[in-house]
Amino acid sequence: MTEVELARWSKDLFSVALFCYLAAMVASFAFLAFRRAPFATASTVLGLAGLAANLGSIVTRAFAAGRTPWGNMYEYSSLVAALIVVAYLIGVERRMRIRTVGGFVYAFVVFTMAMAVSFFYVGPSALQPALNSYWRQIHVTSMIAATSLLGIGCLFTILYLVADGAERRRVRRLGQAAPPPIMGGSIDADAPPAFVPGADDPVASVETAQRGALPPASTLDRLAYRFIAFGFPIWTFGVICGAIWAQEAWARYWGWDPKETWSFITWVIFAGYLHARATSGWRGRKAAVIALVGFVSLFVTYYAVNLWISGLHSYAT
Amino acid sequence: MTLRQTASFAWRTLRSMRTALILLLLLALASAVGSLIPQIPNSPRAVAEYIAEHGWVGRFYLRAGLFDVFGSWWFNLVLGLLVVSLVACLLPRSRGHLRAMRQRPVQARELDAFPLYREADVAAAPADAAAAARGVLRRRGYRVAADGSSVAAEKGALREAGSLVFHWAFLVLLLGAVIGKGTGYSGRATIVEQETWTDAAINYDPLSLRSGRYFDGEHSGLGIRLVDYDDDFDANGLPTRFASEVELLDPTGAVTETAVVSVNEPVRHGDLRIHQYGFGWAPVVTVTDGGETVFDGPIVMSQESAPEGRSQLAQTWHGFVKLPGAATDGADRAIELELWPDGRAFFADGMPMFGEQAPLMRYRVWEGRLIDPSLAGLDTRLMHVGSEGLMAGGWVVDPVAGCVLRGAEVAARTGTSCPPGADPALTLGFPDLRRYSVLQVGKDAGIPVVFVAAILIVLGLLAALYTSRRKLWVRAAARGSGSRLEMGGFALQRRTQFDEEFAKVAAACVAAAGGEVRPEREPVP
Repeated sequence: MTEVELARWSKDLFSVALFCYLAAMVASFAFLAFRRAPFATASTVLGLAGLAANLGSIVTRAFAAGRTPWGNMYEYSSLVAALIVVAYLIGVERRMRIRTVGGFVYAFVVFTMAMAVSFFYVGPSALQPALNSYWRQIHVTSMIAATSLLGIGCLFTILYLVADGAERRRVRRLGQAAPPPIMGGSIDADAPPAFVPGADDPVASVETAQRGALPPASTLDRLAYRFIAFGFPIWTFGVICGAIWAQEAWARYWGWDPKETWSFITWVIFAGYLHARATSGWRGRKAAVIALVGFVSLFVTYYAVNLWISGLHSYAT
Repeated sequence: MTLRQTASFAWRTLRSMRTALILLLLLALASAVGSLIPQIPNSPRAVAEYIAEHGWVGRFYLRAGLFDVFGSWWFNLVLGLLVVSLVACLLPRSRGHLRAMRQRPVQARELDAFPLYREADVAAAPADAAAAARGVLRRRGYRVAADGSSVAAEKGALREAGSLVFHWAFLVLLLGAVIGKGTGYSGRATIVEQETWTDAAINYDPLSLRSGRYFDGEHSGLGIRLVDYDDDFDANGLPTRFASEVELLDPTGAVTETAVVSVNEPVRHGDLRIHQYGFGWAPVVTVTDGGETVFDGPIVMSQESAPEGRSQLAQTWHGFVKLPGAATDGADRAIELELWPDGRAFFADGMPMFGEQAPLMRYRVWEGRLIDPSLAGLDTRLMHVGSEGLMAGGWVVDPVAGCVLRGAEVAARTGTSCPPGADPALTLGFPDLRRYSVLQVGKDAGIPVVFVAAILIVLGLLAALYTSRRKLWVRAAARGSGSRLEMGGFALQRRTQFDEEFAKVAAACVAAAGGEVRPEREPVP
């Protein structure tokens, strides 16, 4: 196959992936609304099909351009989409057995890919020398991975706020206070005492997942924390690699270029989130609000800087 | 409130997490402002335009430091308060951690009250069973303290240590950045092929040199000779390579090193770092006036950025020579030059010029008065065009008559030869075309510090987020010929993982104590 054919294949596969994810989103929301198992199955199958097409698109693009396919915003977005779906299918559907939140994840993925194809599409080509460094591979890979993980974390934060709000309303309607967490354990010596799981432990809520409702707020909060705590060190590492590369390419490791500035802002906000979670009085909703601010900042770092603010990172179009 | 109370209140407020959180968010907010308003250090021209367009708003921004957010007093105040708050938090925490590290794990009383608990009857005597458990725990990396047949063990001090390392390293990074930038300098050097540039304040490109606040003013005196500049472009006109081959000379002029500076591959020499920044064409021009050479040297030319849809490589290069008082009547002269490095592009406008190929130069002789001969640009408001013409590489022309004195073999195509025996007062020659390279030269002693601190930040973060503190106790009590082994424990983080670990540790302790035996019946009292 020639490079032109490969490029066309890549673009077609990208469209196939986009439509699969769109269908998976619809199926997943249908499952959330009607709670019929076939919807959940359809969502998973469509998600997997979309992922296959997405990966195919990335691989053909790599061959068409003759390099690793992360050199511009279109390619980043394609990779972010694939990584988010992988993280969701493995981390949430398979390991935690939660199947009700897929629609939100796919909505995010579809948005990312639609943005990519409508604003950022460029044909595959070689890179200018400044982008041609092995630090590019490390920096860009970690930034994309971290963006995906933090993005999912923030999605769960939104769901947490929704579920938490609903739970509070229910409690208020019933006219009773929320039950206090169960501390300590049983007095029966034969049965090991129960304990309250810590904030960083995954707890699969099989029962609620099968029923089809959103998982309880505490589970969503924990999921959000796990994804953000996973993404944060990778973000840190990615920013540091970017600084090393900037020192090589632009003769300074930090210059408050808009993309740099916003990656710093995002870092600071998520650092604030992690600290807030460890501080009494800030846990729960307050910390979640910080994570939401982080989501906005992540969004600006990833898109807005490239679309509206010009700087050294303006390789988008 | 007394002064003492106020001070202690201020100290407590600074130490609180709430303050640190608010400061962090303020820092983020200030940075966001800095990315939305043009900044002087990044784009002074954009700032000037902004002020011109926005009137009093622009002037207010200037007054408030909004055009240099990251250098403004309020940004640095927030950063400074954050540093103080961090230190105020870290000092007691570090002291506490060091103390905790020195203390032995404390024995527990009722092991069956812990979230995880197991008991087993084993063959070994209590003292032996306890010793065996100690061995097992120690091999697994626990800190162990024994008291008779009771064993207390702890693991995971790395979590707190990692958190402390992360925060201290963040401070070190800031310190390294401030000291490095403060005592260093950075600027751009334009060097034409075959020429030598020396690291001294005066030799940097105008306005490009930035020195730190604490820089002692001593430049290195290093010489850089550009031996050759080379670049490659792909068929689309996208650059694939820029490289400057340089010789580095010590202050006495002796060559100490030869090196190639290219994009992403800077050259380091002592404290100095040399980066490839830009490039361009520098035609060598000779001007004689009345038989006397008034100018002979390369002219560093510049290029305008290409309009949408046109290759940057198709853009021509511009330069000029100023000749004050050179005209016969004492007026000033200036020669404005426009270069096509690839002469074919002169006939096919828009063709990208990848390299040197029969270069052509258009000249325009201005006469009149130079407004300020020392100014960087050419101001022709008080001048008029005397003559214009075209010259190819290797030619010498009479710019006033517009004819070619030497190199006439091509003249048949683009110009006319001067009549034989012509001896004009003013001649203009284009003997050679060279490249020039712009190198970014700088010194920043803080880079290694910042680098090490950045590594520690990542390592500390990983330890702080992914390790967990675990506590385990083992007690052996005599039971028949063997002993009864009680094991209890809990983890402060990652409890699900600890469930498995506890089961394994307990099994290992039982195995090391001779294995589980069937419980003997309690003697009836």
